[in-house]
Parts: sequence; C-alpha cells; structure tokens
Amino acid sequence: MSIRSRRMKAAALPFLLATTVMSILVSCTSPTAAPAPEATAAPDATAAVVSPTEAGTTGTGEVAREDTVIFDIDNSSVPAPENFNPFVPGTNRNQGAHQAMWEPLFILNYETGAIQPWLGTEFTPNATQDLWTLKLREGVTWSDGVAFTADDVVFTIQMLLDDDTASLDNAANMQQWVKSVSKVDDLTIEFALNEPNPRFQLDYFSVRIWGSIMIMPKHVWEGQDPFTFTFFDQAKGWPIGTGPYKLTTASPTQFVWDRDDNWWGAKTGFHALPEPLRLAWVIAASEDQKALLMSSGQLDSAMNVSLGAFEAIQAKNPKVIAWHAGLPYAWADPCPRQLSFNLEKAPWSDVNLRKAVSLIIDRAKMIEIAYEGTSEPSRTMFVQYGGMNPVIDAIVAAGYGTQPTANVDEGKALIEAAGYTLNAAGLYEKDGQVLSVTIQVPNDTAEYTRSNNEVVEQLRSAGIDAVSQPLTGSTFGDNLATGNFEAAWNWEQCGSVNEPWNSMNSLNVSRYMPIGERASANYVRWNSEGAQAYSAIVDQIGTLPLGDPQIPGLVAEAYKYVYDEAVVIPLAQAQKLVPFDTTYWVGWPTADDNYNHPATWWNSTHQIILNLKKAGQ
Amino acid sequence: MGSTLDTSGLATPRAASLPRRMGRFNRWDTPWLNPKLLAGVALLLVILLSGLLGRFFWDTDLAFSGKAPLNLPPVGFVNTRGQAGTWEHPLGTENSGRDMLALMIVGAPNSFLVGVVAAGVGMTVGVILGFSAGFIGGRVDDVIRLLSDVTVTIPSLMVLIVIQSLMRQVDLTTMALLIAVFAWPTPTRLIRAQVLSMRASGYVHMARLSGASTWAIMFREILPNLTPYIFASFIGNATGAILAAVGLETLGLGPQRVPTLGGTIYFAINAAALLRNMWWWWGLPTLMLALIFIGLLLINLGFDEIANPRLRRSSQ
Repeated sequence: MSIRSRRMKAAALPFLLATTVMSILVSCTSPTAAPAPEATAAPDATAAVVSPTEAGTTGTGEVAREDTVIFDIDNSSVPAPENFNPFVPGTNRNQGAHQAMWEPLFILNYETGAIQPWLGTEFTPNATQDLWTLKLREGVTWSDGVAFTADDVVFTIQMLLDDDTASLDNAANMQQWVKSVSKVDDLTIEFALNEPNPRFQLDYFSVRIWGSIMIMPKHVWEGQDPFTFTFFDQAKGWPIGTGPYKLTTASPTQFVWDRDDNWWGAKTGFHALPEPLRLAWVIAASEDQKALLMSSGQLDSAMNVSLGAFEAIQAKNPKVIAWHAGLPYAWADPCPRQLSFNLEKAPWSDVNLRKAVSLIIDRAKMIEIAYEGTSEPSRTMFVQYGGMNPVIDAIVAAGYGTQPTANVDEGKALIEAAGYTLNAAGLYEKDGQVLSVTIQVPNDTAEYTRSNNEVVEQLRSAGIDAVSQPLTGSTFGDNLATGNFEAAWNWEQCGSVNEPWNSMNSLNVSRYMPIGERASANYVRWNSEGAQAYSAIVDQIGTLPLGDPQIPGLVAEAYKYVYDEAVVIPLAQAQKLVPFDTTYWVGWPTADDNYNHPATWWNSTHQIILNLKKAGQ
Repeated sequence: MGSTLDTSGLATPRAASLPRRMGRFNRWDTPWLNPKLLAGVALLLVILLSGLLGRFFWDTDLAFSGKAPLNLPPVGFVNTRGQAGTWEHPLGTENSGRDMLALMIVGAPNSFLVGVVAAGVGMTVGVILGFSAGFIGGRVDDVIRLLSDVTVTIPSLMVLIVIQSLMRQVDLTTMALLIAVFAWPTPTRLIRAQVLSMRASGYVHMARLSGASTWAIMFREILPNLTPYIFASFIGNATGAILAAVGLETLGLGPQRVPTLGGTIYFAINAAALLRNMWWWWGLPTLMLALIFIGLLLINLGFDEIANPRLRRSSQ
C-alpha cells in the first residue's frame, strides 16, 4: 500500500464518521420538522437568505429579495458543508460552488451542439488526436486578484496524474489518457495523450454532463494534501474561484454567495456583471416543500418536480414557467434510467434471470404511472437525443432494442427453465429459496423512488420477491462503487450526449474491480468473455474521430454483448421538469429562448446566471 | 396450600371496599361497563372490523401502485384537472394509482397491529421484569432498574431510524419487534413501583405466612390487583408504539410496500398532495389515525376510572 493511499484511508475515516453522525443528526431532527415543514423550515430558509447575519457569516449587509436568486440543492442535505475540495468523493459542488464560483474551461451547448469557450478560448488536437493544445483567456483572475494562468491548469492536472490511488475525481480518467501536461506559455498548455482521443475536450473540460474538471488555484493548493485539504477558511477568504460570486455562508442546508464586483469578466469585457447581487442554494427536501416555496415566491428554481406538483405550483403562482410552455413541460435529461444487477452475485449472475426481469418490466406502464406520462421508454441504454439516433437505430435494426411493453409469459418461462416453481405465496422458489431481489435506489428525489416502486410492483406480480431499498445519495453511490448491491435503479451508463463511446466505456472491462474494491466504472462487475469482446470494440470506437461512419455498425456489434448478457436493463428516458419563477427574474432558458439547457445544478449554470434580468425592467 | 391462596385472593383491598355500595349487586353496575371504555372499544372495533371484513367486499390488491387510474378524487368531488370521482374508487386514488379505500382497509389494521404487537411484547417483558424487580428486590432489582434506566435514556427513534435504514426489508412484525425493544422500560418501572407498594400490604404478608411461593404471590396474588392498571399501561404503550410506527412510516422508513397509514402520508407529503388539493390522500389516513388514537385514549380513560374508584365517582 502506498503512503498516499494509507493517508487517504486515514483521512477518509473521520470523514466517514462525521458524515454518518451528520446524517443521523439530520435524520433525527426531521421528526420535529416533518409535521409542518411548510410552516417552519421553509420561510426560515428564505428569511436567513435575505439577512445572513447569523454566526459564521462574514456579515455582509442585507440584500433585498428582488436582488437574490434562490435555487434548491439536489440533495437531502450537504453532509460536509465546509469542505470545498471538489476532488474528494462525497463532497458537493452543486450547492453553488460550480454554478457560481468555479468556472469551467468550456461549456457544451446542448441546443447547438457547439462547445462554447469560457475560461479557455480554444482546445485543439493535432492531426492524430493525441496532442491537444489549450489556449486560456487573457485577463482572467481568481477572486483574490491573482492571475489565472497555465500554471493553475498544469498544477491541477498534474495533481490528478500523481494520485496513485486514482481515487480523486477524474484522476482515473486523466491517468488513462494523459501522458504529460506542460506549460507552453502563461496562456497555453499542451496535453500529450497516451493514445488518440477525439473527445478529450468534450468529455473532461466542456460540462458535457453536470460537471467538468475544476481547475484549482496553484497558489492556494500547492503544498496541500489533496485528500484532506478542505479549501475552506473564511479568515483567508477560502474557497476562491474565478466566478462572479464569493461564498458568504455555508451550512448543511443553505449556501449563500454574494456578487464579487471585481469579477474578471466585467473588467475584460467578456460579459457585464450579473444582475443578481446574491445567490442562495437551499435544501428543499420534499416535493411538497419545493412546491410550497415556489408557489409563494420563495424559490426561483427547483431542480425537478413531478407533473402534478408543477401544475399545482402554476395554479398558485402563474408566473412559474418550465422548458416547454405546455405538456410535457419537461426537458429531456441526458441520464436514462435503468436497472442493473451485480453480475457477480447469485442468483442474478444467471443471465436468464436478468433477461426474464427485462421481459417482465412494462416500461410503458411504468412511465404512465411513475412519470405521469411525461417520459418515454428507453430503447437502448443511450439517451434518445437527435445526435444519438444513428447508433440507436443501428442497435434496434440489429435486433437488440428493448421493447416498451412487457412479455411476462416469456419472462416467467425463463425463470421456470432455471428451475424455479411458484410457491403458495405466488413467488418463485428453488430448493426452498425464494427468488428475491433488493433494488437499491437513491432517495433524493421522488422520481427515483416512485419509478423503482413501480418496477418492484411489476416484478412482484410476476412472482419475484422484489424489494425497494431507498438510500441516501452518498450511501447509494458508495454501494455501487464497492459492489455492495444486488440490484440498483440507477443511471450509471449516463455519459453520451452526441457520441456513443462515453456511455459504452463505462462498462469497459478495464474498469472491472472485484466486489469490495472501489470501482470508478463498470459497477456491475462485468468480466465475462463477452465483456472482453465488447471492450475491444469500445476501445476501437474510442480512437475513431467523432461522426465516423463506421461507428453505428461497431456500436451495434458491441451492444450485442450488453443485450445478450442483460448487463443493463434500460427503463426510461429521464425527464427533468425544472420550474422557474419569473416573478423576480426573467431570462431563464426555455425551448423558445434556448441559449442552453435548464439544468441549474450543472457547471453550465454560469450561463443562466449571466442571462438573468430583473423582472419588470 | 391452594385453598389459602383463594381466600387471600378475596382479601384484596378493592374486594373489601366493594360491598360498601349496595348497587354492586346489580350485575349491570360493574365498573367494567364504563361508557368511555365502551365507546373506545366500539370505535376501535369499527375500524378493525371494517379492515377485516372489508377484505371480503373490496379488492385489496388495489392498495398497490399501478392498480387504478391516477389522482382520482372521492365520489362527489372534482380534482384539479376536472376529473370527477367514480364509484369504482369511491374514496379516490393517489398519484401512483393506489385506491384509497383499499389503502384504508389494509392500512388501518396494519398500523393497529404494529401497536398491539409492540405493546404486547413490551408489556409482557415489562410485567415480568417489573414484578421481579419490585418483589424479589436486592441484586435482581438493581440489575433490572439499571437496565431499564439506561434503556429509557436511549433516544429510541434515532436508533430505530438507523436500524430500519440498515435492514433489507422492514415488514410489520419486524417493525413491531423493533419498537418493542424500547417499549419495556417504562412499564417495568411503573409496575415495579406498584409492586413495591403492594409488597408491604396485609394480604401479601398473609400469603407469605401461608407459605405461598414468590412466583405464586407475584402472579396469583398481586397481578390480579394490577390488571386494570396493566391494561391502562398497555393501552398507553400501544398508543406510543403506533405513534413511533407512524413516525417512522411518515419519514419513509416504514415497510416499503406494505400499505400503512403513515406510509400513505409519507407519499402524500413527498408528492405535494397538500398543494395539489388532494386532501383525500393525506386526509383519510390522518382521520383514521385520529380515530384510532381517540379510541385508545377513551379506553385508557375508561381503565383509569376502573382502576381508580375516586375518579369514577367524581365523573358520575
């Protein structure tokens, strides 16, 4: 064991303990808050936003509601609110950190498909796609006034390359691709890759999905242990970023950020200062709470609500809008929902049982019930965006597409062929063992548990003793990574948006880890001969330029193994119904004003914040 | 030996005080016909019977998700989308297509069952330990008192939340037994106190002089005198257990699939039922819980009056 990994484990222990204690405390405080969340917790949250003068704040003055934008956080709470190290697993960055403080190098525009420059101006490969040159924008500074330069980029990437545990966020990816990173001049960096990668910029530096590699200030991080450094010390002004907002308050349920009038963007003419003086991210755990806050103008944007809740909000607050003006209102999120089995845990290591589950699930009915009709069944494990159609069509044409409706009889026949018979309770049984499955599901959002409940219902009525086990997001993620699950309702093959390789590579056999060891992908522990064959094709696809005509055929060829071994059981496309309140702020992204997608928990939210205008101007 | 036991049984303080009222000889003038007790029992019986008999008249399969159209209001009402309630689902449905009537038929007895099982187990343990501690005394008393004092200080809901979240599947019995783990110390302490005071009473001395065994004195002499007290304590315990169960369910930590009243409220909270004006979704389980608690409270008050003649007289 290397010194680094020992140190990391030692560092992780108190953190885990703290997280556990924190989650227990949070759970314990809920009973008192639960009976009347709308009456107590909710208004307090906003009251504090408007006047953050409690202990622990730096004591800036009051900011009016109409100068404040309030978002919700996609979590039931933030377990380590004073940890701003984005590389350590278990820390948050969607509490405003990567929406307001840390800016990305580039932002992928989902609507145009173009990669827009931000801190970087261009990122170009050589002809063989194995040497990439990044140009930084001139005049960018950290919020403490120090210039943002190539040194920061080289330092951050080198830190990830030096992590011999490969457990820092994106360390495994950087080590897979980057041979060396070097500074050419203050604004130019060269990345020499181990092998050609046409998606190097897209995948890691352009907010393809949710986040991108965050560049950290060398002058602060140098000499710190990246595993234990929290990057939080208000006396020193930490954390810092290049973005137009600085942290004012951090607590498990609320984060307040105030505008930094010295933002580089306004000085260089990149963009005028954003209009909101203050941004707040608050926990609005239940849908009821989100709905109540939004309908009373105390939340400007909620992460995701159900159709019913949205209609209720609109009925009370007609100024609330969403991506589409009418049904289905929702925006298609790039992470399709799926069911995955741990392929190394009996009895579900039997491929026929997994196939039976896929046949028994009625996806159309699940969508009708759990999504109230606002989504569509997945045909493959890929997101059904226009750019993905060629590969999806190729897979479906090859006969590996998933059916939207169930074929319960065929599914039951497969289970019976495996030696199971129905017992008196109507459940399948073999050698006195009932065929059971525990499906883990994150409990952060009602959509997750509802969707999983419906899967459980369908499996039970077909004779499988299925049980839903809702877990907090961090426990769920931990269980997936270490293989501590039998089955999981998840979106782990999420990744591809306009090309297939990214999603496919998340099942690459090279990422295989035995149960008990932490995997960075291939959580299902796919390690068969089929997995080898699949991965060989995926590796080949990885070297082809984007849009190469061979790709759809190769994808179909590789997908055969996923389909034959039921490695992934696609369920539904994800929909995010993101409500925006136009009472105080206008300029939210919509299908008509589609400057980008509406995911306010992503690193691309910088665009949205810069685009907001005070209502009534 | 056996005959001495019988006579000493008659010599209980209450038995001795009864003949003072002549009306005692009227068979209808028994303290057990307490109006509060009867009303409480009747209320609970109605809820239980509608649950037990309802299964024969209504398809309880409808209590599971996806079995009925979504979001329908009760008959005679209209939901926010303008759909009217139908007789196929007279109490309406919720947002995953569970039928509210079926949920009530299955859920109310389930919640009740948890309370009774948890309280039953807790009381049984409490009675045995309380008697042992109070009557035997000495080291036994020290150990039991220490155990119950320590257990009383443990915040049970917190421990329950942790345990529930670690379990694969929480079914009703598991939940009841988990709650029972924390339901014994209070009855143990109460009964110990009662036994301590009774230990010094004349009839116990008499029994002891007659050579009755400790076991016989505890459970054949003292126990009958504590019956109303134990019942009242049992009801209090059941109320607490149901409350704990509903609390866990409302937090989403109850059984995932078994329909319960608390679980229904959890789903309603999670889906903004209040805001969506789906009052039947949260209202019906709340009403059922209120009725169960009122029933239990009436029974408790009734027992109190039976056990305490002074209270009875003042209320008459």
